[in-house]
Amino acid sequence: MKKSQGQVLLGISIVTRASVLAILIGLALNLKYLNWKNGYNLSRLVGLAAGEWWKLFYEIYDGFFSMFGDPLTIAQSNAGMTWSIRIMGVPFTDPIAFLSVLLKNHHIEVGFGLGLIIPLTLSLTFGRVFCSYVCPASLLFFSTSRLRRFLLKFFYFPDVQMSRGSAYGVLCGGLVLSYIFTHGVWTHILPYFAIGQTIFHAIGFGTLSSCFVVILGFVLADLLLGNNFTCKYLCPTGQLLGFIGSKSVVSIKRDAADCIDSCNACTVVCHLSVNPKVDETKNCSLCGECLIACPTKCLSIGVRP
Amino acid sequence: MKRRNFISSFIIGLILPFIMPLVSKFQASPLVRRFLRPPGAKSEKEFLDLCTACGQCANVCPNQCITLLGFEEGLDQLATPAIVARSRACILCMACTQVCPTGALEKLPMTEEGKKSVNMGKAVLMEDICFSYHGRTCGACYRACPLPGKAMTIGLYEQPTIIEDACVGCGLCEQACIHMPQAIRVIPRFEIEQNEASKS
Ligand code: SF4
Ligand code: SF4
Ligand code: SF4
Ligand code: SF4
Ligand code: SF4
Repeated sequence: MKKSQGQVLLGISIVTRASVLAILIGLALNLKYLNWKNGYNLSRLVGLAAGEWWKLFYEIYDGFFSMFGDPLTIAQSNAGMTWSIRIMGVPFTDPIAFLSVLLKNHHIEVGFGLGLIIPLTLSLTFGRVFCSYVCPASLLFFSTSRLRRFLLKFFYFPDVQMSRGSAYGVLCGGLVLSYIFTHGVWTHILPYFAIGQTIFHAIGFGTLSSCFVVILGFVLADLLLGNNFTCKYLCPTGQLLGFIGSKSVVSIKRDAADCIDSCNACTVVCHLSVNPKVDETKNCSLCGECLIACPTKCLSIGVRP
Repeated sequence: MKRRNFISSFIIGLILPFIMPLVSKFQASPLVRRFLRPPGAKSEKEFLDLCTACGQCANVCPNQCITLLGFEEGLDQLATPAIVARSRACILCMACTQVCPTGALEKLPMTEEGKKSVNMGKAVLMEDICFSYHGRTCGACYRACPLPGKAMTIGLYEQPTIIEDACVGCGLCEQACIHMPQAIRVIPRFEIEQNEASKS
């Protein structure tokens, strides 16, 4: 059976998000590798000091980074969290990090500004794709929404409807907080940053970050208040990217001739409350769920006419 | 109606982040521990304005000496990098200064000159507990100092003397001191800045 476009996209999105998660874990493990590389530079010593598994890990990292040049330098060109990260020396900057720093300082480091290029280009071309293809938190919320669907068979949970204004409220509130205190407050506001911190603290330092509580809060909100409540109403990043990408080059398209008037499947299934039925494209993250849900397959993803 | 909905939601959203300052009030009493900022850090205020808490410096430190703070030092230092010299001091490899994206840590070269331009704090010696000043020759701190003879000199019976102008505050002496508690410790730069500000 040939897979439909929607199924392919959903598959890709799960793979890419899982890779992002793997990268975050890998970066935290980088800390151990660097320490051993700098201190021992010999896998046998790592084996003696930390055990056979860590020796294997050390050898894999060493082999991998050696492919690109001096392993120590290459390993050090990878660092950070989804908020501001450097992969093989290429910087990525979260637009909110940029706003937050800009508000407090009049001078912006060139590399920090350049880090905006890839995220902005991506949102201007594909819309809110960050949410379905990159954000490590969305994988968690994806599973939570499946759990919620299952639990709804036995219990009743409300489905709170708000306006997306709340996410802009969180954005402004966060900016005020970061202006008063430090940019670090975003670790406890942005879901993906909280996940990055938790992973980094757990693996790098062996401690449980207080961000864990925040993640728990978001998961509970998703479970009890509504499907993907956090992404729809609380996360400022998703909202901002949706705004930036509201006129994206690639978007969802509907073949009006095939669309059934009484059908509502796409609107019901969308986890970000986009309404493809009335050709709404703002906030669409190209996840492909509505493409699967549509009985006549009249939805597709392509270049905006 | 739609606008009213937007505004009320906006206000709910606006309030949400402010739960954090309230919650952080309930923390256990803060750990009174001295910590240093990584090398290349600007003056404390500038540093806090610039640091985005991205953790890149902690991620590349081959010495694993940088940790990221939690709520213990208050909200205005949340998730910023810190070095506790007694548990692990900075070896001045300058890797962290190369990656900091926002310039909170100034880029410093990995040379002798680069090392000398660091200002993380100043070491102070407590002669009353130092072994060398009590007839037991020690000198462990001198052996650890990355700027021997410049930041620290050593005399009869391995008695150390700190030359304050040249000390960069890396904390290696504090880590190395074999006396418990440490007879030599680094006063962080922000503490010195505070003291000077309160004096003037
Ligand atoms: S809305 Fe926020 S938390 Fe949700 S997927 Fe997008 S970036 Fe991640
Ligand atoms: S200079 Fe090197 S050892 Fe010191 S904090 Fe930076 S990365 Fe770590
Ligand atoms: S790399 Fe720079 S901005 Fe990032 S946490 Fe360290 S000091 Fe702060
Ligand atoms: S005296 Fe201590 S803190 Fe100062 S440079 Fe030497 S080792 Fe570092
Ligand atoms: S290591 Fe400690 S006890 Fe030994 S000489 Fe230095 S300060 Fe004194």
